[in-house]
Amino acid sequence: MTSSPGGIGARTLPLLRHPVLRRLAQAFFVAFLLMVFAFLLIRLIPGDPAMILLGDEATEEDVIAYRKLLGIDGSIPSQFGRYVSNLVRGDFGVSIRSREPVLSIVGKRLPVSLWLTVTTIVMTIGLALPLGVAAALYRRTWFGHAFQIGASVLVATPVFFSGLLLILLFAVQVNLAPIAGYHAGFPANLYYLWLPALTINFVLVPVLARILQSSIVETSAEEFVEAAIIRGTQGWRFYWRYLLRPSLAPTIAALGYFAATVVSYAVIIEIIFNLPGLGMTLVDAVRNRDYPLVQGIVFLSGLLVVGLTFMADLVNGWLDPRAQIR
Amino acid sequence: MTAGNPSISPAGRLRRVELRRYWRQLNAESRWGVVILALILVLSVSVPLLSPNDPYGFVDQPLQPPSAAFLFGTDHLGRDLLVRVFAAARLDIALAILGVSVPIVIGTFIGTLAGTTRNRIAETIWDGLVNALTAFPEIILVLGIVAMVGADIRGLLIAIWISRWAQYARIARAKSLALRDAEFVQAAQVLGYSQLRILVRHIMPNVFSEALAYALSDFIFIIVIIGGLSFLGLGVTPPTPEWGAMLAEGRLYLRTEPWLILFPGFFLSLTAIGVALLARGLERISKGEDE
Repeated sequence: MTSSPGGIGARTLPLLRHPVLRRLAQAFFVAFLLMVFAFLLIRLIPGDPAMILLGDEATEEDVIAYRKLLGIDGSIPSQFGRYVSNLVRGDFGVSIRSREPVLSIVGKRLPVSLWLTVTTIVMTIGLALPLGVAAALYRRTWFGHAFQIGASVLVATPVFFSGLLLILLFAVQVNLAPIAGYHAGFPANLYYLWLPALTINFVLVPVLARILQSSIVETSAEEFVEAAIIRGTQGWRFYWRYLLRPSLAPTIAALGYFAATVVSYAVIIEIIFNLPGLGMTLVDAVRNRDYPLVQGIVFLSGLLVVGLTFMADLVNGWLDPRAQIR
Repeated sequence: MTAGNPSISPAGRLRRVELRRYWRQLNAESRWGVVILALILVLSVSVPLLSPNDPYGFVDQPLQPPSAAFLFGTDHLGRDLLVRVFAAARLDIALAILGVSVPIVIGTFIGTLAGTTRNRIAETIWDGLVNALTAFPEIILVLGIVAMVGADIRGLLIAIWISRWAQYARIARAKSLALRDAEFVQAAQVLGYSQLRILVRHIMPNVFSEALAYALSDFIFIIVIIGGLSFLGLGVTPPTPEWGAMLAEGRLYLRTEPWLILFPGFFLSLTAIGVALLARGLERISKGEDE
């Protein structure tokens, strides 16, 4: 996700030579373009959206009122101007179905999705780190081969199938999880979240463990690792400082990169496990042709990914000083 | 780079000797991939053709477990699940190929175009555009477009085409940046060929091989998107046999008749696994890390 070193930014504005500030400027530029895409999205509707929603028998006033509601009255530039200034003020429009502001709907449903994401990522780290390290250390044994085959199989299995299989296994056969549903409140909600999180990790963990494995293998060929071995560095200090820490950067970058995938799969997972999060809201909104709500959620999900990628970049700079020099 | 990807090149008619030579170049992973895909293709053509049962027609009592008469059992409407699973294979694979083929051409063209300009401002804007488009979580963007265009096969394909080209453009741009100063490009310029001709005839073919390698992993993703959206009821809709839609129907009988999801899910996964094995095998051959 990096731009060519020394794009126009670094030349014209000296401030942008600082890597963090340059990344931040890039992130804002991308966020602006997300806004443009989200604005264009509603223009993909073939025909007049107001007429589609109201049907043929709509009165003139109704159509005008709906156009106003959808932000499609007036010229395109003035529509865009209004759209941007509304977004900046935190006004994402109003749901057509419930007439509730999009932002307040999102606010209500967001906690479930966030809990799912956090549970997933904690689980990802807990599973991918040991697996990746083990796969690197034992890559020439049966474990390494089994890992390769297992990873290929798991990555290719669609979440909506593995999710159903896990429900069959853990909720129907053994009673370790509910079949579906959700209850808010911290420790209790984990009972409802662990299986959905595990399902997403069926795809995520193999990918990340594989990346970690190959970067550990690469790191172990570096001279500073050899030097550390010669100096007699041993135990945790050796594994963390010389093997794991310099190898983590690509994995963290990938985690930032796959943030979009996690958010993506979470939509399907929320439907399978009946979790009342943003994904379910989005699918309902698509079914109801609730255009403003769809538009708002699409934009916010993009914004979320840009934010997460930016954070992954920062963590990377801290973990691997070599990345900062560039 | 492209030493061993015969099975993804538009092969036309290969002679048997050549096929055997290609087969020898493959490693274990890619061979398994080819075998799995060939099996699924053969079954998806032959089963609906040879079976007396129609994928839409009622044949017997609903929800019968697998038996000699109905190898995969019958579904909730008393239809032959075996025929439906392989009729679905045809549709899913055809849709996924359609889904991949348009973005690869558009993306490669746009990316090559972007890679051969030397304008810094255009480059910066370009980076932002591609980063922005790929920042949207894939399924959410597809859902967003489907919401606008329409929740059917047409809408699904349009959504895939709009949302998937950016990765190809990214690959093509990186590759053509390296190619734009290559000797054969300079030679073409000296010969006075037009920019468009150099782009389409000289640079794009060299970029295409890498795009094809990516297309294999994109195929997996697209078949999952097609199944996923149909699972949500926003793509292919019943009664059309489609793996994701069948999983959504069968899900209601998870407790008592699990085979309703096991068979379509298994063959959907198997298809994706076959492509994944092929892709990984070819990648390793091209990297030269073969056994």
